[in-house]
Amino acid sequence: METFRILIVDDEDDFREAIMKRLRARKMEVAGANSGPKALEMLDEQEFDVIVLDVKMPGMDGIETLRAIKQKKPLVEVIMLTGHASVESGIQGMQLGAFDYVMKPVALDDLMDKLRQAYERRVLQLEYGRKNI
Amino acid sequence: MTDSTPHLPGQESWPGLWHHLAVYGSSWLVAMLAIILGMFVSLLLGLVAALAAGLSFLTIHRLLRQKAVADQEKHLVDEQLLQSQKLAALGKLSAGLAHEINNPLAIIRQEAEWLLFLCRQSEPLDMTEAISGLRQILKQVDRSREITTNLLNFARRQQPIVQAVNLNRLVGDMVRLVAKETEQRRITVVTQLAPDLPSINSDAPLLRQVILNLLNNAMQAIDQDGTITISTQPTEPEAILIQIHDTGCGISKELLPRIFDPFFTTKPQGKGTGLGLSICHGIIERLGGTITVASEVGKGSTFTVKLPITLTPKEI
Amino acid sequence: MPTGPSILLVDDEERFRQNLKKMLTAHGLTVTAVGSGDQALAELAKQPYDVMLLDMRMPGLSGLETLAILKKDYPETEVIVLTGHASVDAAAEIIRLGGFEFLLKPCPLEEIIAKIESAYERKLARQERPG
Repeated sequence: METFRILIVDDEDDFREAIMKRLRARKMEVAGANSGPKALEMLDEQEFDVIVLDVKMPGMDGIETLRAIKQKKPLVEVIMLTGHASVESGIQGMQLGAFDYVMKPVALDDLMDKLRQAYERRVLQLEYGRKNI
Repeated sequence: MTDSTPHLPGQESWPGLWHHLAVYGSSWLVAMLAIILGMFVSLLLGLVAALAAGLSFLTIHRLLRQKAVADQEKHLVDEQLLQSQKLAALGKLSAGLAHEINNPLAIIRQEAEWLLFLCRQSEPLDMTEAISGLRQILKQVDRSREITTNLLNFARRQQPIVQAVNLNRLVGDMVRLVAKETEQRRITVVTQLAPDLPSINSDAPLLRQVILNLLNNAMQAIDQDGTITISTQPTEPEAILIQIHDTGCGISKELLPRIFDPFFTTKPQGKGTGLGLSICHGIIERLGGTITVASEVGKGSTFTVKLPITLTPKEI
Repeated sequence: MPTGPSILLVDDEERFRQNLKKMLTAHGLTVTAVGSGDQALAELAKQPYDVMLLDMRMPGLSGLETLAILKKDYPETEVIVLTGHASVDAAAEIIRLGGFEFLLKPCPLEEIIAKIESAYERKLARQERPG
């Protein structure tokens, strides 16, 4: 199976490390960031295909981070990670260009599915851009 | 200072470069330079094409608008507002574009100047330096391409990206996402998802936006205590239906025809932007479907979305 | 051999900054490079510079804000503004009104060097003039 580059953004170290380990076990290329600003910094330095982004983080929250990511790299796909969301915040995330929401606790198969779909969308979008330029 | 300044790379003589290449046999370097030149030219062509697409889109749109004004004077204000928003967005985009493109171009220029400078030196070319420079040029071309791709997407009002979508799963996900809020309002959400629903080819994130907006609308109509029923089913050739029914306040016959107009809202000021349903309407149209509403005051409303199983991307 | 000008380069784009420093240094010039307006002001507080190359669009303290402070506190430093923008906006107008030189990115290295040289000559001429 094709591997692609994933960035996990979550302030909970244990959770982040566990997810990274499990995704690595599935031969994914995974990096982690413990805050929104850190994630944006990493985005300047290297390319990622899909970002998994926690909604609730101290300081710069997930929605703010999503907005900044989409300004910087509009074609990077972002999957929002949340407990439960209010309808308003759900709409806001989707309007800002999120690909999907994944609920905590995360079922790995479910996450893998969504990662794959998000990656497929990115590839399609890049192809579409290339064809039309 | 001037006398200590060596020759500028701009004064580089071509024979010198060819001589260097011949001596050090770097045929790969020639290939790389050719590739870069090609990429650079296609980047510029792409930019022109994208701008042209944007302009022709605006011209056509303006003609269509003139016709619409004659037909429906009452929509004039809304239309103008949307149009000026689009133009403002385009203006902002092109202002930022010069800067965004010129920055990578500046680096590409530097790297090329530096490579020429190195090639002209009498000592053998430092391959690590040369490779680092060429890598950087490729990186900056990619960066510029991402910008032009983005521009093109804007000019085409973000063409939907068509993927296989499991609609039942998508609806279930969105209902679960907002379960806490519906619980708090003591609203029961019933899902009736057809087990034989075929997977459809459409744009998943856009559909999620529609489902969330419709759930939001139903919840606002109920406020507290009530039921939202959301169902999916296959329907006549090559289409599927999604229905969202609420036991809320309903909408009067007079207001019903305006419900999908932008900025139209029955809610008190400050509650809701009046854009949710018009966004749904816009999205569903782009996805080649229809959205309709039936409602009775005091009993509730039903929104029906019909989507083709396969979306063929429409050209603008 | 005459000592050349001391140059302060301010640009948030790291690769651009490093490249320009490397290339100017290769041409015998002395360059200090920093990544933000704040860092530039801190550097100026430490020692005077003859010529400054300043990027217009940076996060944090923008080029325009930095310019205003320079004009007030360090009028003896010659400033060359680097911009990726076409010269039709308000910022370009302000730069011209303030009597600053400016260069449109991307521009050839020799143009940058020529600008630095003429800025330095202007500075020396000003110093020689009494009063």
